[in-house]
Amino acid sequence: MPFQFAKNMVTAEESCTVEDALPLLEFLQSHRGAKVDLGPCTHLHTAVLQVLLAAKPKITALPREAFLARWLSQTLGPPGRKAGK
Amino acid sequence: MSTPLLERFVAEARDLLQGAASGLLVLEKRPGDEAAINDVFRSVHTLKGSVGLFDFPAFAKLVHAGEDVLSAVRANQLALTSELVDMLLDGLDQVGAWIDSIEGTGALPEGADGVSKEMTAGLRTSLPADYGVSQAAGAAVAHADELGTVDWLAALPESDRLSAFAAAMGGAEIHAIEYVPVEDCFFSGEDPFILFRQLTGLHSLTIEPTEPWAAIDALDPYRCILRFRALVAVPRAEAETLFRYVVEQVRMAPVAPHVLASITGDRNGGPVYGDFVDEARGLIVAADWPTFRRAIGGLLQLTAPSLLLASALRWLDAVLAAPSPNPGWLTALVDRIATGEIDLHPLAPLSVCPIPPSPAPAPRRTGLGGISPTAARILESQRTILGLPQPAGGLAARLDSVAQTVANLLAAEARRAADSVNWAAAIDAAMAQGDVAPALELLDHWLLLDAETAAAAMPVAGDPARRRADVGEHFGQEIKQASRVLKVDQAKVDALMNLIGELVVSKNSLPFLAKRAEEIHGSREMGREIKDLHAVIDRLAQEMQGAIMAVRMLPVSEVFDRFPRLVRDVARKLGKHIDLVIEGADTAADKNIIEALGDPLLHIVRNAIDHGIESPEDRAAAGKPSQAIVLLRAFQESDRVIIEVIDNGKGIDPEKVKESALAKGVIDEERAARLTDQEAVNLVFMPGFSTAAKVSDLSGRGVGMDVVVNGVGKAGGNVTITSVKGAGTTVRLSLPLSMAVTRVMVVEAGGGMLFGIPMDHIAETVRVHRDKVRRLKQSEAFVLRDAIVPLIRLDRLLGVGASTWFGDGSEEDAVLVVRLGGNVVGLVVDQFREGMDIILKPFDGILSGIGGYSGSALLGDGRVLLVLNLKELL
Repeated sequence: MPFQFAKNMVTAEESCTVEDALPLLEFLQSHRGAKVDLGPCTHLHTAVLQVLLAAKPKITALPREAFLARWLSQTLGPPGRKAGK
Repeated sequence: MSTPLLERFVAEARDLLQGAASGLLVLEKRPGDEAAINDVFRSVHTLKGSVGLFDFPAFAKLVHAGEDVLSAVRANQLALTSELVDMLLDGLDQVGAWIDSIEGTGALPEGADGVSKEMTAGLRTSLPADYGVSQAAGAAVAHADELGTVDWLAALPESDRLSAFAAAMGGAEIHAIEYVPVEDCFFSGEDPFILFRQLTGLHSLTIEPTEPWAAIDALDPYRCILRFRALVAVPRAEAETLFRYVVEQVRMAPVAPHVLASITGDRNGGPVYGDFVDEARGLIVAADWPTFRRAIGGLLQLTAPSLLLASALRWLDAVLAAPSPNPGWLTALVDRIATGEIDLHPLAPLSVCPIPPSPAPAPRRTGLGGISPTAARILESQRTILGLPQPAGGLAARLDSVAQTVANLLAAEARRAADSVNWAAAIDAAMAQGDVAPALELLDHWLLLDAETAAAAMPVAGDPARRRADVGEHFGQEIKQASRVLKVDQAKVDALMNLIGELVVSKNSLPFLAKRAEEIHGSREMGREIKDLHAVIDRLAQEMQGAIMAVRMLPVSEVFDRFPRLVRDVARKLGKHIDLVIEGADTAADKNIIEALGDPLLHIVRNAIDHGIESPEDRAAAGKPSQAIVLLRAFQESDRVIIEVIDNGKGIDPEKVKESALAKGVIDEERAARLTDQEAVNLVFMPGFSTAAKVSDLSGRGVGMDVVVNGVGKAGGNVTITSVKGAGTTVRLSLPLSMAVTRVMVVEAGGGMLFGIPMDHIAETVRVHRDKVRRLKQSEAFVLRDAIVPLIRLDRLLGVGASTWFGDGSEEDAVLVVRLGGNVVGLVVDQFREGMDIILKPFDGILSGIGGYSGSALLGDGRVLLVLNLKELL
């Protein structure tokens, strides 16, 4: 499981696969206002990305991996700010 | 580590491999068979798709290479030779071995990467050189629809557009891609996002929902409603190749650089820029680009980035970054700064005639021969620049810049030296005349489009489109098939079988109950009702039994399917020409029987090829066609399934068999002299017999046909062999349809004890007058149709109390004539009872050591019926 769920915080590690979308969604559903740290993440499956886009959690850190860092900052918005339109 | 997914993959992969291998063999025979190539391709394609779910890169690469080869074969770009089939089959074998390894350890064996690399390279070398290109070009036209409007481009971040613009100025082709994955794409293992990761020249990527987000509680994470929009600087063909599996969900359009530019931002609050506009116009006229760039750089530092001016300056800078800045664009941008207006499309198209919408197939130009679309566009832009109204005194600078650009381009495109010389001459002429006309003329000449070659370059859309339609249909069928077939563990079916057995037994006790109702309780009415009920339950139980047995039935093709491959390989190895004909492959029999059949049949077929079939020369000498035939035939005969292996080879020579048997000490000379030809042929079944002169790795390892007899015998079957010398051999296997139900004859012996005797062994039942029983010392015998049949009394044999004998010699004994491996024996029993279908339960626990019985069965009245194993007893 690449997601480490803490009290009100999710840390994504390594490669997040399609199977991780549901646990993430369930966590975000039950923990409104939870924060997500994508720092150590190396790839996000589209399904996971979709959950992040839809749930709009607060992203504390974008992935350090170059490709994700480049394109997710546009999609998810800069870290720390509530992601939205 | 074994997940259910992996288990399913292993099972599925084996089926797919089998399908692919048999399809390949069909193809080798009939290379034009479209259904077969589609089958094979689909199998391999599906396999590639499923392996993608796991992390087996070596596996995936090999399968992918195989798929590419098959795809080329399907597109008639590649002829399917025997060597290629060998290579593909080897690949399939390797994959099969990997699947075994995956099943065992959950991982590929060590060194798989190396093997995969080698085999992949081998397969790829057989691909036609232009394979990838033509496939991509075909896909481009047939699949990716044109993206109608690209108005969303303006909404992209300016930095993205600037970087794409810079790439375009550097000579790259820019394409806008809109990819809307289907909603259930996650279920087919797709990850749309990862595709963009593989795009090398990605300049912009926007991921948006196609519809408003559902409330978070109602969100379905596995329904994909995202839309991807990207700007890429790669040739269309490359992008199409990357998206080839989802190409119908992707739309693409080439983007001319000028479309990327837009000037937006805050209109007020910047520094005074009137001076800058004047200065800029002067610099454009003078074509002094370095000074212009410095001026822009300076002003940019003073301007807040969100201002409209800043946006315009950034675009100016981007235009200037090109090797030969377009003065028209620069002027337009400077005009925007002067008016201070937002303009989403400030730049005019590059030339008067619009750029062809799809530059992918590079049209040849008569003047220059084939040049890349980008080069053509640059030439066009240079021509436009030359055609602009002449500023006073600016001619020299402009001509110089254009001359340099075109010269560079000619060098980069590796044009003929003559072109460069012509160009230099034209420029010199223009300089001398103070007029651009000579240079313009040459450019026009080069740009002249050869209409004919351009038309020829338009790929034909019909074929690939049809192919896609085919693929679509096949996918549909696959889904249908998948939902109809249920894979069930055999143990579950066996459990059902046991239950129905119990049910039959319980049902059989109803007649006893009816009898009791009549006799003890005196109610005939009740007895009849119970009997009626019994009839109904009996019918249902029988139907149910039949249905469950049908579940266990498999077609013999399960076994036969491996033979085309085997025969082909062995025949090639031995240099024999053999045509394998299979008949009745859909004949069904119980799973256990089918499984028991595999090895013996393998042995027989190998024997037939190795020993039976002659070499082509020998066949020619014997006046036979060089192509030998091995016929594998299955059919049902009453309650048995018969399998025959018939070859038209040289047959078995009885004399040779006799000699060999004598030499090996299997029989003695006296017996050899008495043997008929058929009996001699049967000698091959004797243990330790093998006629093969030399031991090959195929057959003749000295374990001869007795292995076959044993194997088939275990499944309750028998083997016969007939042979005509010089004309061929027929091996006939006869097996019961099902082992689940055994038909026995119930006999009484030892004063009312019941025994079951398997019906297979029973030849006939006779009644013998006691006078006719002859005594030979201790043994008894009687004459049945001129043959002496030894008599054995079952009660004595079993050691149960013999029944007392009353009456005289005119009394008759009930004799069951049984046949055991060619010997006929008479079993004397007290009484014959009925024949019965029983479910035989072998002894287990402490009883399992008792010999002479094959098992027991429960009778309807609760008694236990012991079933005799005559082979052990006699």
